[in-house]
Amino acid sequence: MGSGQMIRGADAVIKAIAAHGVTTVFGYPGGAIMPIYDALYGSPVEHLLSRHEQGAAFAAVGYARASGKTGVCFATSGPGATNLITSLADALLDSVPLVAITGQVSTAVIGTDAFQEIDVLGMSLSCTKHSFMVTRVEELVPTLYQAFEIAASGRPGPVLVDIPKDIQLALVDYKTPLQAVMPEPEHTQAQIDAANALLANAEQPMLYVGGGVGMASAVEPLRQFIAATGIPSVATLKGLGAVTIDTPGYLGMLGMHGSKAANLAVQQCDLLIVVGARFDDRVTGRLASFAENAKVLHLDIDAAELGKLRMPEVAIAGDLRQILPALSQSMQIEAWQSEVQQLKAQHPWRYDRPGELIYAPAMLNRLAQKLPEDSVVSCDVGQHQMWVAQHMYFRRPEDHLSSAGLGTMGFGLPAAIGAKVARPSAMVVAVSGDGSFMMNVQELTTIKRRRLPVKILLVDNQKLGMVKQWQQLFFEERYSETDLSDNPDFVTMASAFDIPGRNITLASEVEAGLDEMLNSEGPFLLHVSIDDAHNVWPLVPPGASNQDMMDEMEKQT
Amino acid sequence: MIDYSVAISVQQQPEVLERVLRVVRHRGFKVTHLAMQLNENNTTSIDMSVQSDRAIALLTNQINKLIDVLDCQVLAGQINKTSASAKG
Repeated sequence: MGSGQMIRGADAVIKAIAAHGVTTVFGYPGGAIMPIYDALYGSPVEHLLSRHEQGAAFAAVGYARASGKTGVCFATSGPGATNLITSLADALLDSVPLVAITGQVSTAVIGTDAFQEIDVLGMSLSCTKHSFMVTRVEELVPTLYQAFEIAASGRPGPVLVDIPKDIQLALVDYKTPLQAVMPEPEHTQAQIDAANALLANAEQPMLYVGGGVGMASAVEPLRQFIAATGIPSVATLKGLGAVTIDTPGYLGMLGMHGSKAANLAVQQCDLLIVVGARFDDRVTGRLASFAENAKVLHLDIDAAELGKLRMPEVAIAGDLRQILPALSQSMQIEAWQSEVQQLKAQHPWRYDRPGELIYAPAMLNRLAQKLPEDSVVSCDVGQHQMWVAQHMYFRRPEDHLSSAGLGTMGFGLPAAIGAKVARPSAMVVAVSGDGSFMMNVQELTTIKRRRLPVKILLVDNQKLGMVKQWQQLFFEERYSETDLSDNPDFVTMASAFDIPGRNITLASEVEAGLDEMLNSEGPFLLHVSIDDAHNVWPLVPPGASNQDMMDEMEKQT
Repeated sequence: MIDYSVAISVQQQPEVLERVLRVVRHRGFKVTHLAMQLNENNTTSIDMSVQSDRAIALLTNQINKLIDVLDCQVLAGQINKTSASAKG
């Protein structure tokens, strides 16, 4: 139906966004998007100003991942749009529903190398699920509706809409388009029967749980499936939280830095049930020997993942919420369950490390114990990210935000900001490293601007730790450009943004430090100095099979 | 190496050929022949020959995911005898 009133394209953008239930957008203004920012002024849609477009888009990603809603970000043409690219790629690799709206130079000058003109549509091809450039104002509203549908449907992902300035200024009769629905794959009864036959014949089945479970809102169906079948489980980095740590047979994360029990059990299984996961190289190690005696049952919404890296015996593309209940059955696998339990008991995490210095895994495990039920932990990338994955635990996937596929340093702080906006009553902690933190440190101003009570736990070894670890292990200790001992004084820096903080260096200070951070009313920075000799263990070396994990060596004290 | 012939039907969008070719390159296939024709119903037919060591489903599954692609069919696949590999 038409409004009967002609409005500017820019106003139509804000109206279409509001119509999709979006109450907050993240962005940064500039010349080619000024009409949209003018329309935003005084509108019911709240805008959170970042201090770099990458920060805005990561905040939108954090908002989406913590809430399950679609995140929206704005940027201007040229450098504004190019600054979005990393975050779009991150959202693509982690299947995050995101709508990015960029201003573009006017249609009359597109292709003339106008000021702040770059071919954003061309750049978007490899880092979005889909993208549009609107060249007629009549197409604007239908395009925006389509963008929201594409972003959230099937396997979610980022969609970019590039809007030239003259289109933003042109008048349009706002008509709500008929909602286009993207086709979803549907499973057949024959596929379900084949999958059930595999399950019935399995003696040592194992669930390999990925991020697709959370994205499909299939956490509850998965938990019911586990309760009915008793099948042991492992999770990917993005799958953490789908299965709770007290679930019998749950062995935590698998892969390069997974738990030893998880990797060994997967290598021994005779049926691998892959749920919303994609055989990432960080998960499989040497692909040819990954669960090499197992048959594979692969369940995913994205048919292109089925058989991409490992040929499954049975594959079903479709909605996990429908498929998992159809596979539910009771199984006689007691011997395997106790074997898995034995593996878990043989390879526990240990937190009793001697010495006065802070042992980050123990500190993070303690943090997990202290967090209230409604909490979000947002990570950066590197050693601290793997320690969080190994030693913290989560009640649901939306509570753990980690740049998994792209592995983007600088993700943690802005994603935490977006999470806090999406879930204001949740305790939101950004766990970062001294390398990652500096990559989007300008977003401290965003925290200051809104007095957002985001807690920052900065794990500082004055190194680019994960790269240093690989230099130590695989590059003959040639520490090329990984020394960060010239870091700023982080507590002083935080104070410049009106964020209080403190530094701790001793294990005896961890308890009080965590309490002060969690009990502070506003934002807080807890700067934790750790020994740079601590590495992430265990580790599957590059090219090795997952059963050949390296443990901590004698010299790594 | 294996040669494949692929017929793709797409919606007419200015950038749709770029989208398809980007996927072909990125997923490890080489274009050896390309022809396209605009149809009256706002669709475009793309006939393409590609070459790769990889199974063609790895390409067609990705092409089918593109929003503007209406259909993607493999017409023929044959091993190129001058450079046949064990894979296939």
